[in-house]
Amino acid sequence: MKEYQLGEFEEIVLLTVAILHDDAYGVSIKEDIETRLNRKVSVSALQTALRRMEKKEYLKSEFGEATAIRGGKRKRYFKVTKTGKAALDYSKETRMKLWSAIPDVSFEYSKAWISSALLPLPGLPNS
Amino acid sequence: MDKQRPSPPSWPTKFLAWFLKEDYYEDVQGDLEEEFQVKANGSSVVNAKRWYTWQIIRLFKPGMIKELEAQDSIEKETTMFKNYFKIGLRNLWKYKSSTVINVIGLSTGIAAFVLIALFVKDEISYDRHHEHADDIYRVTVKNYTVDGDISRQWAFASAGHASRLKEDYSEIAYASRFYPWAFPDINYQGQDFLGEQVIFCDPDAFDIFSFKFIAGNAESAFPDIYSLVLTRSKAIKIFGNDWEEKGIIGETVTLSRSGNEAPFKVTGVIEDMPDQQHFHFDYLAPIRFVEMIMGEDAANNVGGNYNWLTYVRMSPDANIPKLTQQANDEFWDKYIGQFQSGADARDFYDFEFQPLLDIHLTSNLEGEYETNGSIEQVYIFSVVGILLLLVACVNYMNIATSHYSRRMKEVGVRKVIGAFKSSLIKQFLSESLLVVVISVPLAIILIILALPYLNDFVGKQLIFNPLIQTDILVGLLVLMLLVSSMAGLYPALFLSKINLVQALKGEQSMNSSKWNFRSFLVTFQYIVTIGLIFAIGVIESQMSFIRNSDPGYDREQMVSLSLPRGDYQNETFRNELLKHPNIEKASFSSRIPTGRLADSWGSRFFKGDSAIATSFRLPVVTVDKYFLDTYGIDILAGENFREGMETNLQQDTIVTGYYIVNRAASEALGFDEPDEAVGKKLGYGPSAGRIVGVMENFHFESLYSEIVPTLFLTRDRYRRISLKLRPENIRETLDHIENVYAQFDAETDPNYRFVDDLFNEQYQQEERLGSMIKVFAAIAILIGCLGLIGMVGFIIETKLKEIGVRKVLGASSGSIWMIISNRFLILIGIAFVLGLPLAYWFMNDWLENFVYRTSVSPALIIMPAIIAIILTLLAIAYQTLKATKVNPVECLKDE
Repeated sequence: MKEYQLGEFEEIVLLTVAILHDDAYGVSIKEDIETRLNRKVSVSALQTALRRMEKKEYLKSEFGEATAIRGGKRKRYFKVTKTGKAALDYSKETRMKLWSAIPDVSFEYSKAWISSALLPLPGLPNS
Repeated sequence: MDKQRPSPPSWPTKFLAWFLKEDYYEDVQGDLEEEFQVKANGSSVVNAKRWYTWQIIRLFKPGMIKELEAQDSIEKETTMFKNYFKIGLRNLWKYKSSTVINVIGLSTGIAAFVLIALFVKDEISYDRHHEHADDIYRVTVKNYTVDGDISRQWAFASAGHASRLKEDYSEIAYASRFYPWAFPDINYQGQDFLGEQVIFCDPDAFDIFSFKFIAGNAESAFPDIYSLVLTRSKAIKIFGNDWEEKGIIGETVTLSRSGNEAPFKVTGVIEDMPDQQHFHFDYLAPIRFVEMIMGEDAANNVGGNYNWLTYVRMSPDANIPKLTQQANDEFWDKYIGQFQSGADARDFYDFEFQPLLDIHLTSNLEGEYETNGSIEQVYIFSVVGILLLLVACVNYMNIATSHYSRRMKEVGVRKVIGAFKSSLIKQFLSESLLVVVISVPLAIILIILALPYLNDFVGKQLIFNPLIQTDILVGLLVLMLLVSSMAGLYPALFLSKINLVQALKGEQSMNSSKWNFRSFLVTFQYIVTIGLIFAIGVIESQMSFIRNSDPGYDREQMVSLSLPRGDYQNETFRNELLKHPNIEKASFSSRIPTGRLADSWGSRFFKGDSAIATSFRLPVVTVDKYFLDTYGIDILAGENFREGMETNLQQDTIVTGYYIVNRAASEALGFDEPDEAVGKKLGYGPSAGRIVGVMENFHFESLYSEIVPTLFLTRDRYRRISLKLRPENIRETLDHIENVYAQFDAETDPNYRFVDDLFNEQYQQEERLGSMIKVFAAIAILIGCLGLIGMVGFIIETKLKEIGVRKVLGASSGSIWMIISNRFLILIGIAFVLGLPLAYWFMNDWLENFVYRTSVSPALIIMPAIIAIILTLLAIAYQTLKATKVNPVECLKDE
């Protein structure tokens, strides 16, 4: 089986792109992460993650419309590819495997550091 | 775009555009801007900007930045260039002798080229500073003989030409005459300035030429006929250094000449005329004043009396050939019609409008106001300058390619490591650049040292200062690049071509017996050397031919001076001079030999009672009866002038004339023997009389021109006196002359000249040309020799083993010397065959300028080859001896 490498931030970005579905471009992705997760995201970090995942073919992109507020520049819309979906699935799966392997006693002290991974996952749209 | 909307700061955006991958830029910048706008609306614009900038700075990281290809290669290149220069410097240091040869060659070559370029640039810049230079023409007049041949073309026109031409032809917008022959004394508040160069001109002069006014202006220059415009240096001379504070406009100075005085008001001051102008005037005054003095007739004269330098400014769209045609068709008929003799004036005169910009270099008409330059000289020097530069470059090429054996391994290793051919070319080009960069400062020092001598020689004030003259600085830089690429390209191509395997094995891939480009280069150098030696030989032999040729008159210890001004009897002056025992002979004349035969009248020859106008020009010199004796000229037939043989030439009275003609005139009149001419009737100008004697031909003018028919008559109108001195105590005799002169004219100095000096001055230009070519040819030969020594050294080095083997087998030093020389002798032979006809053709052209010229002797032809052979053999001998002295064991022991 193919290895799917996904960093923590990458996974968040990839999931957000999936959430936003047809409206996933730089600003909207950033906003979504910032509001939903209440964390600051720099353009630099976001772009790095996006481009890296595009290179890994988890994402694909195409130019969309331009608006005046953007100084006449076009948006680049991102979409999750099949590979991207597979990567997310794989990531989730491995996590679930691990989850199920945790003995109950471990929760007492491990709650804190895994909290960020415990997100309510909305249904993934089919790509 | 909405104006209310704040815009993001621009420099971070530019920065982003610079570093961000092009592919990302559009959407990323769009995103940033969109968010910036949201933030600017939400919080403050300042914060938004800060945020925007910060985001961009954070974007500057790997993955976002453009692929570093471009930057990377620059870095690589600079590193490599550093390496090239380091290796280059090491090589220069290691092979000091060839470095010295190259640097000496290139720096002298560049210095000589720059000096010549300065001279040429100055020569071609004449008169260009006038705003309307392209539209200014000089009116010149051609005179024709009865046969329709041009007899003279005058730089001057007649007094009445300017105004009539301007009036009749709308193409001529402005016309002005300059009358430069007045030389009045100027008096200002008791101070006398004698014989000042006051030029009288029409007011149009200020519209034609761009004279720069410092005080006053062109419009108010000539309010009346007593106005005077002077140059800055004359203002200083007359009014002192503080003339500007004094406010000299309106000051009155007195102009006087021959007892007549007139007060003139200063109306303006102009800048001194630049050196690069074909005339230099110190004062300008209205020509109406001269007309008033000379009278209306003189001012309206339209034929002859060519004393009026005339310039016109045409309208920019004027068609000059058409205008010339039109003027020549109409003017002479309209204003002269027919002469008394019944001939049409139009057959004897033609106008030619001479472009101002052609005057300095290509004009050498009758009565040029100042000595002009010569386009031939400019050509010759340009050729020599370029040849010098080429020879220096070729030198570098030769030496650099002889380095071959030394650089072979280096090139091999570089190739193995992965050097491209292009990078090897870059390497060798940067080496040549390095040598040039070292040579240029040296060249600059040479130029600065040599420039005063050059200036002295050509009588110019050329300036060389690259710090101030940006054109020279730029020129030097361009020259540097040009020379380094010219010199370096062939070695670079040659060395980069080396076969890798052979290079590393240390094999000789260059077969020394093969003909290659370098043989061509050496041949070229020999061609230049042989050609230049030949040129020197021809110039030298022509100059000595002239120096030693007998002009037909005595010029030793002969002194000539202008006559004192004032009222006195010529005979008294002559007798006072002759009182001194060392003054042997004295004679008055209008002109003296070495001068020009510029005065002439029409002449008629009588056959029976009918007079026929002679078809040739017959110039006249007025002399006294001592002239022939003083100058040692023989009477061939008839007799010398006696008392009472004066001819009084006045235009309106027919008088009796007594003439002596030269042999050329007697032959031109159709007499084979001089005896036959004696006693024949001749009319000359308004006089009619007989030929009393025929004298031997002599070169009145320079040996440039043929001996022309000339007529001599006596008449009490002389300009100069010639004195034949004894060789003893010349200094003391000259003192006596000065004293006597002072008795007659206390105000001016006797401007005496030795006739042999005047004689030599006629050929000064050639002497100058000769010495300059000699200097530059010597430099070329020096460079060539240096190159030869360097090159032979390397060739021998690559052949050390061969020499060793030959020596072991019993060859003598001499035979080895011959083997190496052989090849060069063949090249000399080729150069001789190719170069000499070229040089011969070039020099023959130059010789044709002289009517009396030397023939090119076989010695002159063989000489350059012999010199080239001797120099080559010496250079080779020097290196061969060094090589053959080495014990063969030394060079054969390794391997």
